[in-house]
Amino acid sequence: MAFSRLPGDVISRIFSLTTPRDACRVSSVSTAFRSIADSDQVWLQFLPPDHCDGVVLPPISPKKSLYLHLCDHPIPVGGNRNMSLSLDKKSGKKCFMLGARDLTIAWGDDRNYWEWIATPESRFNEVAQLQYVWWFHIIGRIETSMLSSGTNYAAYLVFRFEGHQEGFDWPVESHVCIGSEELDEGRSVTLDPREGEPRAVRERAHGWMEIELGEFRNENGDDGTLVCSLREVVSYKSGLVVEGIELRPQEMH
Amino acid sequence: MSSSPPPSSAAASPSCPKKMIALRSSDGETFEIEEAAALQSKTLENMIDEDCAGTPIPLPNVTGKILAKVVEFCSKHAEPGVDDESLRAWDAEFVNVEQATVFDYILAANFLEIPTLLNLTCNVVADMIRGKTPDEIRKFFNIKSIFSPEEEEEVRRENHWAFE
Repeated sequence: MAFSRLPGDVISRIFSLTTPRDACRVSSVSTAFRSIADSDQVWLQFLPPDHCDGVVLPPISPKKSLYLHLCDHPIPVGGNRNMSLSLDKKSGKKCFMLGARDLTIAWGDDRNYWEWIATPESRFNEVAQLQYVWWFHIIGRIETSMLSSGTNYAAYLVFRFEGHQEGFDWPVESHVCIGSEELDEGRSVTLDPREGEPRAVRERAHGWMEIELGEFRNENGDDGTLVCSLREVVSYKSGLVVEGIELRPQEMH
Repeated sequence: MSSSPPPSSAAASPSCPKKMIALRSSDGETFEIEEAAALQSKTLENMIDEDCAGTPIPLPNVTGKILAKVVEFCSKHAEPGVDDESLRAWDAEFVNVEQATVFDYILAANFLEIPTLLNLTCNVVADMIRGKTPDEIRKFFNIKSIFSPEEEEEVRRENHWAFE
């Protein structure tokens, strides 16, 4: 049998070139494979680099457990903890959420329009609660160098409604672009469609909802800044609570 | 560019511009490889530095059949002016061989410390694993599982998400 001729560290290397999901399947093959497939040597390759780009990994051992922890428990990134990182379980690709404080929200500093509140349902210290506004414009930015390479991503607004809700049954324009170059014509998203109208909003954990703003492919992480924006400046709006914008790897088939 | 020739080393021979290294396989075959190609192997690089010039370097871990291919690989990768795309296509053809031979290449690349060949061949095997179920992996590589049914159940449970 061919594999038995290979030294352990070469087998480790081969396993780490597959995916986390494959590494788990491989550990079900035989006792010898299991000990290599579960080793720190392999799982270190599936983790993002520690102490790099504001990421500090929790001190969990072994590495496989740390990996699984990061899939279900987003960790804060950067000094001000307004961004979170988690991993997509099957592929190990990075998933980021830009917290509301990390976004550029027009009139966000004016308490007449937006309030900042703490809520236990959010992973972030504060979320943005809309009192009312006509000029609704939210922008999220992230460096493509932080994202996993060779990955298709989609951007989602993470939100819910509270209090008097108005104006979100009209579509809002969303764009995902690199720098100032638009990747596509953008799209119209309706956060609170009326009954009978198509509903692109999905439920999430902890009472939040999400709606897709756009997609893009990150090839090498050298495209500069990714910009996601949401804008509707004509009608009166109120009642929206924004947790952030999430960038999630899409499953590739 | 300066017009004066570089100072010559003691071993330089103006009539023989390319330095050839001789290698001997485990089964006694001898191969010649250009120094530039040989330097792709860290193992050979160390041996050449130690100045075993002249006598063929014995490689007891590599058969003639495989060593011939390794020499071919290193020579190709030392060739100047080959564009990335052609090289990738050439590499793909190079590893388009039966499973046992890929493993032979891996062992040779590991022993001779040739990073390009090791990466290429490990990726080939990784590709063979990706997406397969444990049963398919066992069948493909002819692996006997020595899990007890309880152990197998335990591993499956631990990694259940990978099977969904």
